Amino acid sequence: MAETAATPLDPLEPRDLIPPHHDDKSLNETLLDHVWRKPGKGWFMLFGLTLSALGLLVVGVTYTLARGIGVWGNNQPVGWAFDIINFVWWVGIGHAGTLISAILLLFQQKWRTSINRFAEAMTLFAVMCAGLFPLLHTGRPWFAFWLFPYPSTLGAWPQFRSPLVWDVFAISTYLTVSALFWFVGLIPDLAALRDSSKTKLQRTIYGLFALGWRGSGRHWHNYKIAYLLLAGLSTPLVVSVHTIVSFDFAVSLLPGWHATIFPPYFVAGAVFSGFAMVITLIVPARKYLGLRDVITDRHLENMNKVILATGLIVSYGYMMEHFIAWYSQNQFEFWTFYVNRATGPYAGVYWLMIACNVITPNIFWFKKCRTSVPIMWVASIAVNIGMWCERFIIIVTSLSQDFLPSSWGIYTPTWVDWCIYIGTLGLFGTLFLLFLKFVPAVAISEVKELQLELKHAAHQKSHGAH
Amino acid sequence: MEATVLDSWVLAEFETPDVLVDATRQMREKGFQGMDTYSPYPLHGGSEALGLPPSKVPFIALCGGLTGLTTALAMQTWMNTYDYPLNIGGRPLLSLPAWVPITFELSVLFAAFGIFFGLLGLSRLPQPYHPVFESDAFRTASTHGFWLSVPHATGQDAAAVIDQLKALGATQVTVVTGEKE
Repeated sequence: MAETAATPLDPLEPRDLIPPHHDDKSLNETLLDHVWRKPGKGWFMLFGLTLSALGLLVVGVTYTLARGIGVWGNNQPVGWAFDIINFVWWVGIGHAGTLISAILLLFQQKWRTSINRFAEAMTLFAVMCAGLFPLLHTGRPWFAFWLFPYPSTLGAWPQFRSPLVWDVFAISTYLTVSALFWFVGLIPDLAALRDSSKTKLQRTIYGLFALGWRGSGRHWHNYKIAYLLLAGLSTPLVVSVHTIVSFDFAVSLLPGWHATIFPPYFVAGAVFSGFAMVITLIVPARKYLGLRDVITDRHLENMNKVILATGLIVSYGYMMEHFIAWYSQNQFEFWTFYVNRATGPYAGVYWLMIACNVITPNIFWFKKCRTSVPIMWVASIAVNIGMWCERFIIIVTSLSQDFLPSSWGIYTPTWVDWCIYIGTLGLFGTLFLLFLKFVPAVAISEVKELQLELKHAAHQKSHGAH
Repeated sequence: MEATVLDSWVLAEFETPDVLVDATRQMREKGFQGMDTYSPYPLHGGSEALGLPPSKVPFIALCGGLTGLTTALAMQTWMNTYDYPLNIGGRPLLSLPAWVPITFELSVLFAAFGIFFGLLGLSRLPQPYHPVFESDAFRTASTHGFWLSVPHATGQDAAAVIDQLKALGATQVTVVTGEKE
């Protein structure tokens, strides 16, 4: 009896996920503390830094709008460059947020509870940054509504067989659903903020966003199922979005793009870079916010395992691309993979990509690396760089040397390209810092619920053992 | 002008979620109607204790999803096959496989709208004012307090309700008055 009764606790769920010395009240104080506290010097310094980077975005965008997109480096034959590289890069980063909040929720991976709010915010801001690039690339973003089917005086409709139109629908749906998911998760915590606010102004503002939530059992009844359903919807959505992004390339006929492996390989790459970005952001944030009790080393280790797994899938993708290029005996494919990418004008970027994406994640085979905060932080930045290089390699090498040597060309980004890219990093950082200041970075109501579940499980266990 | 009908609620705070769920069930078994629990996170067994019917949110989500599906299929077919046909390399004007991505996206989008607005509609939110907010102590309901409200509308004497709640383990009991819902 004792042996069987001693295991009501999920074996994947050791108790130290949240230290047992917390109760609802102390969790509340710990998790809300950073909202009520005046931000420290570090926050203001970082905010100044991201704000200056945001200034670069303003400069880059203003100059582009005033002079036209000719000020960018892309031109024939490389018609797509930084605009699409950064677009795919940012969207990919966003995907980890949805993955953490939705897929891990469906699989009942309880450790997600402490990091999902954080990751969802990352998704939202990353998709905003991503959206800027195609918008600017239209040249006249004030006519961006032309992309949507609306009854225009021209009497024309969008061409629905084009992956670029699919992209418009995919990205706008993704942004909307992510925002709804994030907000629904936030409502109970906004109510908690409203009810523990000190001043009338705070109370009014948080009260406005809390929509009058009072934790009613009748509301929770609908809320639980609504949240689960939104998670269920987000899961196929995230896969579909990056699949559609990969169709932008896979549907064309260019060597290096025209591959059926693209959808799964892009989705894995997105998760890979997204988890790396979560590590990059959460390591300093949890220190600053004092959240080590809630975002534990075990959370970080689990994320590193995901990075390792998806990194291996990405490596497999590279292997398959090279294998098919050889196996098909198509001379253009062969040239692209074995000559142009590996030894051509962009070979440096290619080998940096291999080093960052194929070699780096393998350090996470070792527990020592998975649990060492400085090592994982550096590795996560390497992965982000590597995934940026991957998009650069896919897009630029294939375009710069395609079928006819007479139409080859070299692409170099201009200062405007760099301004806009660094600018979006500033935009992302600014939004993120504001998020950390004004909203609880950890889903408080979910952590409390988990805490209770863990206590119950521990209680049962101790009773069963007698 | 219509006169405001006043009503009152008995609010009781309990120590733990388990005590609250237990008390709710017992109060309901005694015949109290229209009660509600308030807690910072969903109560395990809370819906059952209140005797709530299954949520309508999934049905609304399904309706939203189906609306999105039919809208997307109809839109693409009408626009690209009938109203503005484009012959590109002789591809069929009704190319259903190419309609799939947008159909999927719009189904998800409309289902998500259904869930979100369904949730708000069923919960009658946003509702910035509610009589329970009259009690200052009730502010713990969103942080660490577990509350039960019994509407006085059924005619029981408030004092009797208070005594019963205390017997079930309520740590503090108050009465709030407000506009009838």
